[in-house]
Amino acid sequence: MSFLELRDITKTYGTLNAVSDVTLSVEKGEFVSLLGPSGCGKTTTLQMIAGFVDVTSGSIHLDGRDITRAKANTRGLGIVFQTYALFPHMTVFDNVSFGLEMQRVPKSERRARVEEALELVHLAPYAGRYPRELSGGQRQRVALARAIVIRPPVLLLDEPLSNLDAKLREAMQFELRDIQRKVGTTTVMVTHDQAEAFSISDRVVVMEAGRITQIDQPYRIYEHPQTEFISRFVGKTNLLPGTVKAVSGAYASVSLAGVPVEIDSQSGADMGGKGGALASGETVTLCIRPEKLRLTGAGQGRLPGRVSERYFLGSQWLYHVDGPLGTLMAVTPNDGSAPLDLDAPVGVDWSPSVVRVHRGAMAEAPDPALEAH
Amino acid sequence: MTRNGPVALVFHTLVVLFMLAPLAIVCLVAFTPENTLSLPTRGFSLRWFEAVFHHPDFVQSFWNSLWLALLSATLAVALAVPASLAITRWEFPGRNFLNALFLSPLIIPHLVLGVAMLRLFALVGATGSFGWLVAAHMVIVTPYVMRLLIAAIAGFDRSVEQAAYSMGASEATVFRRITLPMILPGVTGGWLIAFINSFDELTMSIFITSPSTVTLPVRMYMYATESIDPMMAAVSALIIGITVVAVLLLDRVYGLDRILVGQR
Repeated sequence: MSFLELRDITKTYGTLNAVSDVTLSVEKGEFVSLLGPSGCGKTTTLQMIAGFVDVTSGSIHLDGRDITRAKANTRGLGIVFQTYALFPHMTVFDNVSFGLEMQRVPKSERRARVEEALELVHLAPYAGRYPRELSGGQRQRVALARAIVIRPPVLLLDEPLSNLDAKLREAMQFELRDIQRKVGTTTVMVTHDQAEAFSISDRVVVMEAGRITQIDQPYRIYEHPQTEFISRFVGKTNLLPGTVKAVSGAYASVSLAGVPVEIDSQSGADMGGKGGALASGETVTLCIRPEKLRLTGAGQGRLPGRVSERYFLGSQWLYHVDGPLGTLMAVTPNDGSAPLDLDAPVGVDWSPSVVRVHRGAMAEAPDPALEAH
Repeated sequence: MTRNGPVALVFHTLVVLFMLAPLAIVCLVAFTPENTLSLPTRGFSLRWFEAVFHHPDFVQSFWNSLWLALLSATLAVALAVPASLAITRWEFPGRNFLNALFLSPLIIPHLVLGVAMLRLFALVGATGSFGWLVAAHMVIVTPYVMRLLIAAIAGFDRSVEQAAYSMGASEATVFRRITLPMILPGVTGGWLIAFINSFDELTMSIFITSPSTVTLPVRMYMYATESIDPMMAAVSALIIGITVVAVLLLDRVYGLDRILVGQR
């Protein structure tokens, strides 16, 4: 049995299923992220683990103990809230000390442990300050120190970095992971930011409309998204609707708006567990990551194209290439060579192994709100 | 910020003068040696202050008012804290009715309340009871306390309480260590306004005070209906003086900002 187990937990508000049949096993010391857009049920799931929200059905087990009906103040979990939820009328020291006081830890030991926790988050000199005298990043670290000082079996992080500016958020991602490794606490984090989830998690749990749609290592989720939703939510992607024309052995030929494209006929086995080889006449959606497309000289490659937009992203160039399949996104590293000019004729190439296949037609229009993430 | 133009400056000066002048004049008049309410043009005299202390009924009424205001404000706050928490945080049948009920004394004229209380006191045989007077004052001051508390609680981040709770604190501990300190500005501000309102209350109190429970405003009103002499000014000056000293002390010891705004 795993350290933390959610078994078929469901939360119903009236007739609305906020969370449906969520089953998840978290190993001791693991860092797991719940990733999804707002309203996908990830925060509700976290709050059920914390004990702030009652479970409608299903059960939660911690270290072999059923805590489904245990009160939040008996679970002993460490929680970092999105708003940090520091006690505004207490100093940093008293904030961190509060949990130990509640556990009736002797005063001398309390002092030592608070100082140790503040040391860990580099806030030792700020022990006497009040939360309002700290910056956002410092408050975040107080919240973290306060959560880990009680040595909780599980650390719950609710969008811990979303109130920080981009630069600080990135720095804190690494620091968070670093601290978590040092302390070794089993951690469950809720986030809507895929970069955040990918960079610091051992495993990512993607949630969509109250359900888990994929649990995997970050790299696997990025490379082998189980649903079209995930491929769009996680990073950028080119989605191309097509029809399977012919299947022969390991390869299948797919017609994309009349352009024939060769793919691995076993690709379907990857997608959403709907295994089996592709069949002739089947409607599919091909998914190719922008960085997997190679831009070659005009006349070469699989498709002809023309650069219609060019965005500089610092470490990369993002091109929009117009061609027979519409506009494709392609990313090339900024390796010092001259970028392509607007309107430059190019060829677009890719290797068959980078093409992912989703069975069925493409969902209507990509949701712009999701693209924004 | 832009500076004020001359017109605005004159306007602001007039407003401030209009607010301060009566206080200044009353304090000056208190020092007059004359027998009429007049500015002391021929020297200062403390004879009217002396007169106040030769009227033991005034001194008695001052203590009545002080105790009445202290008790009614404190009890009103003690009731209003749980009531405001319930009204702000929970949905329950009759919630809106209760909310309106707690506010209604603001809308009902004190004159009407006075007559009603007079009848009620007669019915239950409470005429002349100090306890019932306190209860009547609580009715009047509770709405002020409730308003301030509801505002303080509405802006409250519940996750702060959740954080304390998740660290193993009991509900009672969360309330004592987290909730109460965080709504303290609402509590103290509400208490202060309740105290002032009770101390000042005249209209209703006229109906329900008895000779032994006459409050200072009622005493002054009764005195003023018979004769207007500078002793009224002296009483007023004393009240103003006590208030100023109290506020200064409070600011020295606790800091008014901390009590009323919640800043350290």
